[in-house]
Amino acid sequence: MADRTVNVITICGSLRKGSYNRIVMNALPGLAPEGMQIKEAPPFSEFPLYNADIQNATGFPAPVQTLANAIRAADGVIFVTPEYNFGIPGPLKNAIDWVSRVPNQPFAGKPIALQSASPGPLGGGRVQYDLRRSMVFLDAFTLNKPEIFIGNCAQRLDDKTGKITDEQTIGFIRQQLAAFANFIAAHGPKG
Amino acid sequence: MSDNQLNVLVVCGSLRQNSYNAALARTLPSLAPPGLALKAGPPWHTMPIYNHDIPDVPAEAVAWADAIRGADGVIIVSPEYNWSIPGGLKNAIDWVSRMKDVPFKEKPVAIQSCATGVLGGARMQYHLRQSLTSIDAFLFGKPEVLVTFAAKKFDEKTLALTDQPTIDDVKQQLAAFEKFVRRLNGRK
Ligand SMILES: Cc1cc2nc3c(=O)[nH]c(=O)nc-3n(C[C@H](O)[C@H](O)[C@H](O)COP(=O)(O)O)c2cc1C
Ligand SMILES: Cc1cc2nc3c(=O)[nH]c(=O)nc-3n(C[C@H](O)[C@H](O)[C@H](O)COP(=O)(O)O)c2cc1C
Repeated sequence: MADRTVNVITICGSLRKGSYNRIVMNALPGLAPEGMQIKEAPPFSEFPLYNADIQNATGFPAPVQTLANAIRAADGVIFVTPEYNFGIPGPLKNAIDWVSRVPNQPFAGKPIALQSASPGPLGGGRVQYDLRRSMVFLDAFTLNKPEIFIGNCAQRLDDKTGKITDEQTIGFIRQQLAAFANFIAAHGPKG
Repeated sequence: MSDNQLNVLVVCGSLRQNSYNAALARTLPSLAPPGLALKAGPPWHTMPIYNHDIPDVPAEAVAWADAIRGADGVIIVSPEYNWSIPGGLKNAIDWVSRMKDVPFKEKPVAIQSCATGVLGGARMQYHLRQSLTSIDAFLFGKPEVLVTFAAKKFDEKTLALTDQPTIDDVKQQLAAFEKFVRRLNGRK
């Protein structure tokens, strides 16, 4: 018997409508183990570029606070993101930079899982290691394995139907979500 | 003599007014050898958040790219945010990386950073090297400029760089960067 529902939010690192990473993100609720609820986090697309002077003059922009609150309230966060120039997409990094300055920094102690899709062969290997590093600084707990790198994603995801077509990929994602549920349970309730 | 000067663009990764990195960037012309003419790059803070669905590269990104293409070299002076590149600066790099004639391609680039902590932005520098590798920049090696405990190295009021060892490091890097750029450009 599941003692309670685990609430996980997802953050997509790509803003484009036909995003492969968004296809993956949208599939997650249907692949989650029993007892895990997954929904999309509030958007970061309206965040200004980080400037400490804005923060000091007018406080944190409202969408920054909204995202920070959602992260704080969630039991876990899954990033589903492309790799841009061997690293974190600037817009996503900007969002993390803003959120990282909010008092009672919301990533602290938070279980995190990472997924990435790319038309290239590595499937975003480098962005995940960049994200892991930022998450260490923010004192989050990032799930180790299984890792989800969806390489050559145009062959595994159908951008017309918005569905994952590759059974193996679906299987890996199910495994990761199940592992993430255990990982969240192992880290106990948020402090 | 002056027609032999190299034009080097200085890009700052922090937007705040009292930024240590901006203060260092402003100091560079006074520490540069006569062969380098340094100029601040056009602003990147007005670029929209990157979205692949935006059909045209925004004017600010075009201007930034043109300035980089037109320069003999680029010096990036940036803080480290969350152990990596500030999102705003990465956003600018992401924009220009999608252009046909990628402006960083085979462009000599040197990196400097100031941080209030003990590592001086090292993790940002190594990550920036990784990103600039993806767009085929020519990355300058040593000496590195890592300004640790920045609050102690700049004047509290005027933000003038007061720390002599840092001044020496910067001078050495700029002199070596001039040689690096001339070597790559085939100009002795
Ligand atoms: C600015 C930019 C930089 C990119 N850099 C990389 C990269 O370093 N590695 C990679 O595998 N793909 C890279 N790509 C290609 C993306 O993987 C591809 O566009 C992918 O479809 C983006 O994810 P999305 O479909 O979720 O928007 C880059 C794309 C953009 C727009
Ligand atoms: C969003 C954010 C993240 C930061 N992360 C780091 C970091 O990872 N490592 C570090 O040494 N300093 C970090 N700092 C502190 C900066 O080194 C310090 O704020 C520095 O003064 C910023 O450079 P600037 O003075 O040029 O704006 C961070 C600051 C901000 C605003």
